[in-house]
Amino acid sequence: MMGFVINIVQMLLLVLAAPLLRGIISKLKAWIQKRQGASVWRPYANLWKLFHKEELVPNTATLIFRSAPVVAFAATVVAAAFLPVLHPAAFLTLDGDIFLFVYLLAIGRFAMSLGALDGGSSFGGMGSSREALVAALAEAPLFLVLTALAILARTGSLSEIAAWTIRQNFFDVSTVHLLALAALAIVAVAETGRIPVDNPTTHLELTMIHEAMVLEYSGPSLALIEWSQAIKLNLLATLMIGLFAPWGMSLTVTPLGLAAALGTYALKLACLVIGLAVVESSVAKLRMYAVPDFLRVASALAILAVIFTAITKR
Amino acid sequence: MFKSRRAATSFALGAGILEVLALALAVWRISRTSSLELGKYLRADSLTAFFLVNLGAVFFLVLLYSTSYIRHIPAGRFSSPRWFYSLLFLFLFSIIAVYLAGNLGFLWIMMEATTLASALLVGFYNTEGAVEAGWKYLIVCTVGLAFALFGTIVFYVAAVHAGLQPEMALQWYALAHAGKMLANSPALLKLGFIFLLVGYGTKIGLVPMHSWLPDAHAEAPSPVSAMLSAALLNCAVYALIRYDAITSNAIGATFSHRLFIFFGAASVFVAGLLMIVQKDLKRLLAYSSVEHMGIIATGLGLGGFFGIYGALLHTFTHSMAKSLLFFGAGQVREMVGTSKISMLKGLARQLPWTSAALVVGLIAIVGLPPFGLFVSEFSILREAFSQRHWLAALVLLTTLSIVFAAMTFHFLKVLPGSSQMAESKTAVSDRKGPEFVAMGICVAVLITLGLSIPAPLNYLLKAAVAVLQ
Amino acid sequence: MGLFELAAAKMLSSAAMLLFGTVLLMATAKRISTCVYLFACQSAILTAEVVAAGYVQHMREAYIIAGMVLLVKVFAIPFALLWLMKKLRTAHDVGASLSPGYSVFVMSGLIILSFAAVRLYLIELHATEVILAAAVALILNGAFLMVTRSKALMLMMGLLVLENGIFLAALVTTFGMPLIIEIGIVFDLLIGLFLMGIFVFRIRDTFDHLDVSRLRGLRG
Repeated sequence: MMGFVINIVQMLLLVLAAPLLRGIISKLKAWIQKRQGASVWRPYANLWKLFHKEELVPNTATLIFRSAPVVAFAATVVAAAFLPVLHPAAFLTLDGDIFLFVYLLAIGRFAMSLGALDGGSSFGGMGSSREALVAALAEAPLFLVLTALAILARTGSLSEIAAWTIRQNFFDVSTVHLLALAALAIVAVAETGRIPVDNPTTHLELTMIHEAMVLEYSGPSLALIEWSQAIKLNLLATLMIGLFAPWGMSLTVTPLGLAAALGTYALKLACLVIGLAVVESSVAKLRMYAVPDFLRVASALAILAVIFTAITKR
Repeated sequence: MFKSRRAATSFALGAGILEVLALALAVWRISRTSSLELGKYLRADSLTAFFLVNLGAVFFLVLLYSTSYIRHIPAGRFSSPRWFYSLLFLFLFSIIAVYLAGNLGFLWIMMEATTLASALLVGFYNTEGAVEAGWKYLIVCTVGLAFALFGTIVFYVAAVHAGLQPEMALQWYALAHAGKMLANSPALLKLGFIFLLVGYGTKIGLVPMHSWLPDAHAEAPSPVSAMLSAALLNCAVYALIRYDAITSNAIGATFSHRLFIFFGAASVFVAGLLMIVQKDLKRLLAYSSVEHMGIIATGLGLGGFFGIYGALLHTFTHSMAKSLLFFGAGQVREMVGTSKISMLKGLARQLPWTSAALVVGLIAIVGLPPFGLFVSEFSILREAFSQRHWLAALVLLTTLSIVFAAMTFHFLKVLPGSSQMAESKTAVSDRKGPEFVAMGICVAVLITLGLSIPAPLNYLLKAAVAVLQ
Repeated sequence: MGLFELAAAKMLSSAAMLLFGTVLLMATAKRISTCVYLFACQSAILTAEVVAAGYVQHMREAYIIAGMVLLVKVFAIPFALLWLMKKLRTAHDVGASLSPGYSVFVMSGLIILSFAAVRLYLIELHATEVILAAAVALILNGAFLMVTRSKALMLMMGLLVLENGIFLAALVTTFGMPLIIEIGIVFDLLIGLFLMGIFVFRIRDTFDHLDVSRLRGLRG
């Protein structure tokens, strides 16, 4: 019973803390650029404001345009239910949920692409075609990474992979893990639309991918999109932590253990976020035609990771 | 020190004569005791002695030729008579060290040193071609030798696993006598030998690792070309002979000899065909070197008394003939300013003496009697026929005739006819000096070897063959 | 088990993985300087490996070799190459004829190939598979860089990586060659690099670029 409550709590944590994570990243980036920066709570205020605004819909748009943000948000929230955060178990767990996780993220993207096309503006179409390219290239390595880890752990469920990893010696990092981590890091950058693949703050028509898609949206719809985008970032960060560094998750359901798990989770998340902020402030965005090449690196690494599971099998 | 060219030249000549005398003394000592050991790293036997005789002769001729050739070299960074002689002597010392090395690791180090010492000599003129050729030579040979190092390590591993002491596991005489001890790891020995063949084969210029050779030979100053072709290639052949002996003792001769014949025949054939389309005299000669190295490799691969005897004798006769031809080509290049075949029409009228030397060299290099190469090639062919190795015999005979046609074709284009150069204002003529002494010695040695091999050399040769059998 | 033993054992078991990392990163690198830094990292890993192996097997000589590798390959050569780049003042890209993405694909294939190649000889060699495969992978990576990168400095880098691989192969199969031979090899390497440096300057002065794939004056 206690475990069930924790599962719900950790899922809500992922969903509700997501805007805060975004706020922290922009604050960090501001500091690195020697600026004061907005408050870390700013994304919440922004969401609040958008939820209370009137929604404007292009008169060419159909039901698809209206429902796309809702579908995307729902898919992302459901995906959050599969991730272990504080202890190696999740609200929803089934064997093979690694595939479900990937496809839930894909459904969100698919819905957004359709919605952007339905909006009728030329930017929407451009954005969704770019988004489709990136998604198609990023999906294969993400799959392969998860498969490699699933082979190692002999289970197809995210929370059980995390449980298996905890039982391993912290120092015995395997080649598979290194390669998979590298691939996943690249994929995560592409999936969440951060620099160097996409710039979340740009509105320059030549370079934007995600922002081009959401250009026609306003009011509550935009709020949902922003929120689900924030959750996605949180999801991938938590996925990396859960798969590659789950040590510190509490194995027993005690208040002390959970507090420690929350602390270590926050610490690991902070490391990732700092890394992301540093990379985003120091690296230039890739040109659009260099993006496939960047993702090809991830594919190669992921394929290598899968093959290495066979080579290094003891 | 040695600000003037004359001082540098006379010092170099003195040092060279001392060097040759020292080599002669060493050869004499070795031939009396049949093997000589100095410390842990140096060792010599009759095979060494034979190659040292060859080296001494070539180096003396090259030095003699250089004394007048060096005259027009402009002074520049790393390009002055001082640098030329220093590098030439470094080159010589590293080759001597390869021959004397008793330790295969030391041998590798010195082989790499030959590349390093000669790279600047290849790029000596600092022209576009010379820089490109020098860079290519340095990179290709260094990579090739890196593979040879890997092969050396594999041999070392095999020897250590076979139970040899680590300090003995790289001494070639210990390995050669370890014989059946090494036979426990045939896969390793084969792997190592392939790497060594690729590595040292790069230095020899065996096809398909020959890409550096024509460039380096064509762009280097002619004495250096002669030194590369007549001394350096032999030195790499020597290294492979040592490894062949070890491998043959351990796992039987079939493996290494088949590889020798394969690469040898490939080199002979490919180089022979490429000679038809050459447009530059020195490149033509360079491909001829590839071809002759192929003949030597084939001879070694055939084995047997006449095969090895012929191959060893061929290293000697080829180096004499090739020195003669490169000296001649050097004269042409110095006097006419180019070695492009299309620009050299009517050479016989312009430079009669040089042309005569070239013709003698041509007859010698295509293997016609009464020159030494006829004897050595005949000996190899005899072995091929007596072993009924029809493929090798066929390839050798076919290619020799192709080469004969190609060489004669190119030379006939050059030598006769009225000169285009005569119309230009700068009239050129033979300049007789030390260079003709050097060429004369070459011709004399070639004819002597063609008529009968002098007893001391024959004795040394037979002793060397005995070492390998 | 003391702390030192633990550290040495960890180093020996994870060195291969780290080396694969450097190899793959080198395939993706777009600037020569990145490659130089990666090479320094790679050599540092080798140094640690030598020290660890020396500690485990109680070999004094290992520390001398480690010191030499540290001095020459971690500091001297990278510094010299960076100095050379500064001095040459030419473009800093590697001149790749194969894009980073495909390079990583090819390099991954080569790593798998090296595992396959090592399998054939495992019975005769008493060495761990992974580290030996890492040595072969380094050799292949060096060759790969030399073939697909056209800048003169990258050819030198490729050669250095190749040499690192050979060094590692010798280290893991026999615990290195005799000391004096190792010193000789490193000395040769240094002189070779020095000469290549001279030629790089000459190429720049004669051709005004350092793209050796464009040196095509001598053919046939």
